[in-house]
Amino acid sequence: MSTFKLMKNEIRMLRNQFKSAITSPSMLLFYSVTFFGIFFVSSVISTFVSFAPLFFNFSVLLEETLDMGMIFAATAVLSASSVVSGYFGLGPAAVLTLEDESLMMSAPVKPHQIFLSRYARRILRKISFITIGVLAILPLLISASLLFFAAVSLLAIIIISLEINYFLGAMSSYVRLWISRKTQHRLRHLIVIALGAIALLPAHPWLLSNVSAIYVAPSNALALFLTESTGIFSQGIPPLYSIIFIMIGFMVCLLLTANICGYEYYELFSDNKGREQTEGRFSKIIRGEIDFSKSQFTDPMIWIMMKDFWSRLRSPMQIWKYIYAVVGTVFVLYLNIVKPIWFPPIIVPIGLAFAIVPAFILMMILFVQMGSVTSMLSFVDERDNIYLLKASPFNPRDIILSKYLLSLFEVAITVIPACGFLIYFIHIEGYLAVITLIAPLTILFTATGSAFGAYVPVMTNDPKTLPVPLALSFPIINLGLGAIMVLLVAIFSDSMLILVILPLFTLSLVYFFLALSLRALNTYK
Amino acid sequence: MTIRADIERMPGDELLRLARVLKVPIVVRTIKRSWLVDKVLKELEKRDAKIPIALESPAIQISSVTKNFGKKTAVRKLNLRVEPGEIVGLVGPNGAGKTTTLRMLTGIIRATSGSIQVDGYDIVDEAISAKERIGYIPEKPTCYPSLTAREYVMFTSRIYRVPHETALIRMREFVELFQFEEFIDTYIGTLSKGNLQRALLIGIFAREPPYILALDEPIYGLDPRGAWNLKKLLRRLRDEGSAVLISTHILEVAADLCDRFVIMNEADVVGHGTLEELQKLHPDTNSLEEIFLSLTGGIPE
Ligand SMILES: Nc1ncnc2c1ncn2[C@@H]1O[C@H](COP(=O)(O)OP(=O)(O)OP(=O)(O)O)[C@@H](O)[C@H]1O
Ligand SMILES: [Mg+2]
Repeated sequence: MSTFKLMKNEIRMLRNQFKSAITSPSMLLFYSVTFFGIFFVSSVISTFVSFAPLFFNFSVLLEETLDMGMIFAATAVLSASSVVSGYFGLGPAAVLTLEDESLMMSAPVKPHQIFLSRYARRILRKISFITIGVLAILPLLISASLLFFAAVSLLAIIIISLEINYFLGAMSSYVRLWISRKTQHRLRHLIVIALGAIALLPAHPWLLSNVSAIYVAPSNALALFLTESTGIFSQGIPPLYSIIFIMIGFMVCLLLTANICGYEYYELFSDNKGREQTEGRFSKIIRGEIDFSKSQFTDPMIWIMMKDFWSRLRSPMQIWKYIYAVVGTVFVLYLNIVKPIWFPPIIVPIGLAFAIVPAFILMMILFVQMGSVTSMLSFVDERDNIYLLKASPFNPRDIILSKYLLSLFEVAITVIPACGFLIYFIHIEGYLAVITLIAPLTILFTATGSAFGAYVPVMTNDPKTLPVPLALSFPIINLGLGAIMVLLVAIFSDSMLILVILPLFTLSLVYFFLALSLRALNTYK
Repeated sequence: MTIRADIERMPGDELLRLARVLKVPIVVRTIKRSWLVDKVLKELEKRDAKIPIALESPAIQISSVTKNFGKKTAVRKLNLRVEPGEIVGLVGPNGAGKTTTLRMLTGIIRATSGSIQVDGYDIVDEAISAKERIGYIPEKPTCYPSLTAREYVMFTSRIYRVPHETALIRMREFVELFQFEEFIDTYIGTLSKGNLQRALLIGIFAREPPYILALDEPIYGLDPRGAWNLKKLLRRLRDEGSAVLISTHILEVAADLCDRFVIMNEADVVGHGTLEELQKLHPDTNSLEEIFLSLTGGIPE
């Protein structure tokens, strides 16, 4: 009963959010930029490249290079990785918010009721975003002559499977709580290996061929759906079966997760929040409680950078990022220099050669884009401290520049290994000319990221949550800018003019976006 | 009766809603306001007056509670009881463990050891029954930003199973008391700190008394008029049998409002009792402030 009241409330909040989003012009602007941007990009792509033969070739290619077991293995690895990462995660506590802490945790409602209502909202949100997203890529779907219904159901099933994986992660976090209650032995966390192995088990070839009940396992049901609905390695089992298996899996996992929601997750949430607070406190140093004249740097810009660097390093993910950067770079260098036999680059079939250059460029742009998300977050990470930063005796220009330069470093170290890998993996003619674009792309995208991040507190009162329209239109705008840059290069590739135009284009846009960030900083709510 | 005054002050749509909740038959198109008010009041009278429930004694019982955060002890072996009809002030310097105590009391976090009873219910074993009685104002008030204040009040009153008509009438009463009328339909996300606190208070008082209140620095964000109203209200509620535990370090407020004090310092209770008792123990002091200072590190020169 209470659960329904809570759900009703969640839905009311969602509706209010929607109402305020479509009545505030800036939000509406960003939403429409996103929607029409995707629509535009997808229609442009679909006029350039005809996807239908590509898909056909692709499925032939897949059948030649893969074997069926690999698809099952891939979905099982996906599940296993959510189980393993979920083990160290917050589990159901991840849906809790600060507001819940002050209102709901002290209210006479049970933890699973909060979880279920919050989850209902999450599902509703997802459904609406998927609907909008599918509409936006309609031109692509039509050009690929994919059936609308098939595409949507594929998307829906994949998302439901990802939700199942999320639940598996939540349950594995419960195992951690449970075992920590039973024993304090140092080796207790080794159980995560067993959990991962259990998630991998359903993909075992012997089980797959001998125990037909194993197809009910969510990861297998997903793989089965993929093979049967695309026709690659089809075994002639109607996709409906796998859909039923997946729905059953979803319901079972949802109920199990609701069942494990207990008060210990309140504790987990508060603990985690406490940790965040200490991080926030650290950034308060910039308020002037530290004596700058005693620091070995006299430049406040370097100081902000140092502060950002160290406070980020305290967040658990960051250290992995640096490790990834170092290991990835070394690995990529090794690949490109030694060219080991055990890891051959893909050989592009002749039929696909026409598509490989655009694909390469697109992937390059996407890699740089993914890396540049950090720069957007560099302002969001400040949380409420952004106001402190603004109130501190720094020139706003220094703040923007320091954020930009540090982000540039961070983006570069994530982009380098990814692109190096791309270069090795997909060999294209004249790749040297193409990869030089990585530098201007990185410089530019970091600047757009800064501008987007700086605009968050302008759009909301709550500088720590990224508004959805901003998060969505960021990649779209970058994609558009990247496409324009590639176009410029393509047009002027034969003349020396490119040596002037490309830097001019990049630098003027960087200047524009940094100026925009500055403007944003000066117009905070 | 005050109910009559509250109902007469209701704006038209609220009154209509109340009439609908009470199932007052409305057949004619145009109705006179006074007629509707009378009907509503008559309908309310028909519902037999509830026997007011009394709180268990003690309303709050904290027995030997310890809370550790890793190696750090935030609260050590705390014993505290609050009787119905009593306002107890939890005072102490920053970091003394006041907020931690209130968070354990409200079931947000669990005590490392010891037990807590609220209205006779154990906060861990009978969490739902215990929490139903508690009204909590957190140290940093927050609320769902995309609800309007009215939606929030109606929502909490449902969560706490308050009859709809009661919630409507009581909301009106406290909207008037806290002068909240102009904000009742705005989004909580745009409210100022003090107004947010008022919204939370209205959310609590829309429930039926008696209350067990756990208020963490409730005066801090309010303007002088709001603070005065709240203090007056708390005294009235105390006289009607509610139990209030207030954490604060504004000593004027504490001295003026509380019947008893518990003074904490670095996780320990360093003094407790009424102002007179405390003064008797520390004869060389002549105000709560001096008692406080001497108990928590000495009076500075
Ligand atoms: N989640 C947490 N993790 C670690 N330590 C914590 C956590 N919450 C509180 N503490 C520590 O417990 C101690 C008591 O904190 P508490 O918030 O209860 O103090 P307080 O009396 O409310 O202080 P104030 O007057 O500043 O509000 C502090 O030293 C604090 O740092
Ligand atoms: Mg406190």
